[in-house]
Amino acid sequence: MEHYLLLFISAALVSNVVLMRFLGLCSFMGVTTRVDTALGMGAATTFCITVSAMIDWGVEKALLEPYDLGYLRTVTFILVIAAAVQFTEAVVRKVSPTMFQMLGIYLPLITTNCAVLGVNLLLVEGKMNFIESTVFAFASSLGYSLVMVLFAGLRERLALCNVPRLFAGPPIGFITASLLALAFMGFSGMSTN
Amino acid sequence: MDAPGSTFPDSGTHGLIEGFARVVAVDGGRAWLEPEETTSCGTCHSAGLCSIGKDGGNAKRLAAKRFPLPGDLDLRVGERVVVGISEGTLLRGAATAYGLPLVTLLAGGILGQEVYRTDSMAAAGAVAGLVLGLGLARLVANHLSARGVLSPRFLRKAYAAPSDAACHPEHG
Repeated sequence: MEHYLLLFISAALVSNVVLMRFLGLCSFMGVTTRVDTALGMGAATTFCITVSAMIDWGVEKALLEPYDLGYLRTVTFILVIAAAVQFTEAVVRKVSPTMFQMLGIYLPLITTNCAVLGVNLLLVEGKMNFIESTVFAFASSLGYSLVMVLFAGLRERLALCNVPRLFAGPPIGFITASLLALAFMGFSGMSTN
Repeated sequence: MDAPGSTFPDSGTHGLIEGFARVVAVDGGRAWLEPEETTSCGTCHSAGLCSIGKDGGNAKRLAAKRFPLPGDLDLRVGERVVVGISEGTLLRGAATAYGLPLVTLLAGGILGQEVYRTDSMAAAGAVAGLVLGLGLARLVANHLSARGVLSPRFLRKAYAAPSDAACHPEHG
């Protein structure tokens, strides 16, 4: 259990997918103008990353690795991610149409989110077993959601500040993101993966 | 609170997440609304003007998101209105739809791994956990819907954006 906990902390905080690996930056800048959109996007992404990581682990072990088809990995993983997003959309609609109205708008954006593909490729690189890869994917996506919500909160406060015109909008957003990344560097040394 | 008909968010409804919707049908006393497509720019208040707000959305996808507003609100087809849900509702919805299945997925996977020590049993445990979680999520969602917790509520009417207004994504 301790191993899973260390893996969790390492993936979520120490090697944060956005601030340390620089993945998913377009949604990080684009969907963080409000906390509620960041939260909805983060939750949907967490679900899709975890489900697609499970499927991709199976595809890697059953198809790509035994038949030496590594050159098809990126294409295959993109296909799996798109299928996982469609599956998630269908499931949320089935579970609750009302929730689909609230949360379904973020799902199409996930297909083109490089954080999803990036995490799946990192799993292969890490040569993890099934449960390690699932925990890693879940923790990475929780780290992504955490950063999205934190950054959205900061941007909501920034919107009320008197920012010099030259820095208004994305420039001050990037400066804030870099400070947030520096803050997250404080976690390095807690655990290594 | 803004005057009725304001296009801008209501500062008096703190803790509410607001969205724009258009009345597409009125059936007896009940109005059916279609939410305006929200985008990665966070939707601005001139959404009715730009290509994203007007025609960029997938009509079929929007039709699937139609929802009724109970009560006689004196709404007419084509009117834009502001609807809202509380932040707690969004959190609860996300926790139910995504959080619950993920927790059971992980629990099933870890259980399979710890008991049988094989990847195939861990995968089977995770899939079983996911199915169980989705079933539980459906039950919880039905319970919340029956109590009316998830329903968006009418806040006010919104004027259509003026034709000479500019798009301001930064207001999203």
